Amino acid sequence: MNVRIACCVLGVACAVAAPVAAQRPVTAPGATVSEAQQVVSKLVESYGVSGTEGPVRDAVRSLLPAWAHPVTDSAGNLWLTVGSGAPKVVFLAHLDEIGFAVTAIRDDGTLKLRARGGFIPSLFEAQPALVHTGTSDIPAVFLPRDSVGRNPSRGPGAIRADPGTGSMAATEALGIRVGSTLTMPKSYARLLGTRATGRSFDDRVGSAALILAVRHIDPRSVRHAVAFVWTTREEIGLEGAAVVADSLKDGPAVVLAIDTFVSSDSPLEITTFADAPVGRGPVARAVDNSSVTPPALVDSLVATARRAGIPFQVGATNGGNDGSTFAAYGVPDAAMGWPLRYSHSPAEVIDLKDLVGLAGMVGAVARSW
Amino acid sequence: MRRPSLELVGLLLLLLPASLRAQVDAGALAERFTRMTAVSGFERAALDSVQALLPGARRDRAGDVVLERGSGAATLIVCPFDEAGYVVGGIRDDGWLTLRRVGRAPNALFDQYHEGQRIMLWGRHGALPGVIAVHSTHLQRGRGGNEAPFNVDDAFVDIGASSGVEARAAGAGLLSPVAREKQPFRYGDGLLAGPDAGRRGACAALVAAAATAGAPSGGRLVVAVAVEQELGQRGLRTLAHNAGPFSRTIIVDGTAGAAGSIAVRADTVATRVLPELGQVARWGLTSRNTGTPVETVSLTDIEALRVRLVAEMGGGR
Repeated sequence: MNVRIACCVLGVACAVAAPVAAQRPVTAPGATVSEAQQVVSKLVESYGVSGTEGPVRDAVRSLLPAWAHPVTDSAGNLWLTVGSGAPKVVFLAHLDEIGFAVTAIRDDGTLKLRARGGFIPSLFEAQPALVHTGTSDIPAVFLPRDSVGRNPSRGPGAIRADPGTGSMAATEALGIRVGSTLTMPKSYARLLGTRATGRSFDDRVGSAALILAVRHIDPRSVRHAVAFVWTTREEIGLEGAAVVADSLKDGPAVVLAIDTFVSSDSPLEITTFADAPVGRGPVARAVDNSSVTPPALVDSLVATARRAGIPFQVGATNGGNDGSTFAAYGVPDAAMGWPLRYSHSPAEVIDLKDLVGLAGMVGAVARSW
Repeated sequence: MRRPSLELVGLLLLLLPASLRAQVDAGALAERFTRMTAVSGFERAALDSVQALLPGARRDRAGDVVLERGSGAATLIVCPFDEAGYVVGGIRDDGWLTLRRVGRAPNALFDQYHEGQRIMLWGRHGALPGVIAVHSTHLQRGRGGNEAPFNVDDAFVDIGASSGVEARAAGAGLLSPVAREKQPFRYGDGLLAGPDAGRRGACAALVAAAATAGAPSGGRLVVAVAVEQELGQRGLRTLAHNAGPFSRTIIVDGTAGAAGSIAVRADTVATRVLPELGQVARWGLTSRNTGTPVETVSLTDIEALRVRLVAEMGGGR
């Protein structure tokens, strides 16, 4: 397939045309639900608040095939380039998760915190906590508000944590410092059918999709160089991806952020948009708060999915994505995701079949675009 | 003489009856009890495990675990075991389940502490993991926020079912108990945290004491683990009417307070309402973060309570 780029001039939308007649076969043996679970469960159970993604990066490395030799850049992004030359197709998935960072240690040993990423604070009030010092994970609690009363408000105000030491000195003796990060303990759990729950599916599922695609790709089969990049600090402002974009500039033909499609598939949500049910396949994240995928690229994704036999959805959702950092260079962003329920909560739910389909789409695009 | 290896000590401990192993570490028993689920009215499975730790104990018609020793004027020492929780109130065609609260919620945020968290549903075929649905953060942007706390009426349980038929086939049914997934943990300076850690720690101290206490020096001693304290005190009332009358009663339970002491007070209301209990005293295992998923007790306090209960029961064997 010849990839032709129509240059953007004076606001005319860019498009990457993919003539159907010239396209190569995209089907190839892909991941199974079992393999998808094996990969994503390991990623989910590693911890990496924005800026401290090391353990997750290490987990990604451990899951890549033996022939893959990724490199880490100055921002902590993990790069794997397949094929020779400058990458024309770039996949981005982020390593980090939401959480907290310590801003101060009080005299009684409790911790003042600031949020890293956006989430509903009441979900953390009076819940178990883990303090990540960089060398160990220390159990603690997120404290409840000082008093509840008969008519409390939803919001807890400022959230503090308590490692149970009783003094600043004892807290510091555990290795806790200003800048240490906090999350809630998490575990992956299988639900009925092929559904699963676990915190930080955003964006461990995206990271897993890239890993699964790499595992099932023949590096000699790609027509152009393809870059798979696991980025840092997405949740606090797409910071890692900005470094990727500054590095590649207008070289790529297309960038594909592989990130959550926040779905309204829940009795709690209004379904005027984001109505992509779990279990019905990966989703073209065609419109979100940071980017609009050119319609021709959406059509290309749909056509690719059809040829590969992958159920595929198209939708609009909220949130930003790493691919939008390439906008300054005119590189179109064809973000894809999977339907996620209850985003940025400890209760996130996915369907493993959607991850399998997403990995299949990543592989199909890598081989044929 | 050579000191026994750790492996040999561990093997010997494993060979001991469960009841005697309890005396080794009341804190470990407290952690085990805190891991159990016993929604008010649905305590049977949990109390089966408790009964196994007390050879000779029976179950009364309410389901209380009851152990009696001696004869004569009777003293009752009892701990409630149940917890506030939920039952499935409805099964929707789309597979989500709705809830009804059971038992007295400890505070106005009890439901909210469950929002967006992992739960277990105890169905016909065993335990099913699930979550309580929560708004997606991203989809709330630009929409007006709801400042009222999350309430059980807002709760939708997701066990991964695509339909009500699938949920039922998996064993979920109306009135299936639902409670938070329990993962108690130790932290800090000898602390144990988990839902109802105070109540369960108090029961652990009582069971550990009963398993090792000698015969009462005088009178009849009744040790009980009671049901439905949060649902009309049915267990305690049954004990009062069927195992009593008692000259005195000690209710051992969790209570909010600073660590380092057992909170003892007379309960004149209980004495008046249930005269079969005799003079009622409450011994409280103090906790902080009380009534939350991270209710915290001191392991030292649990052991101190156990020692005090052994003395009350007539000393160790």
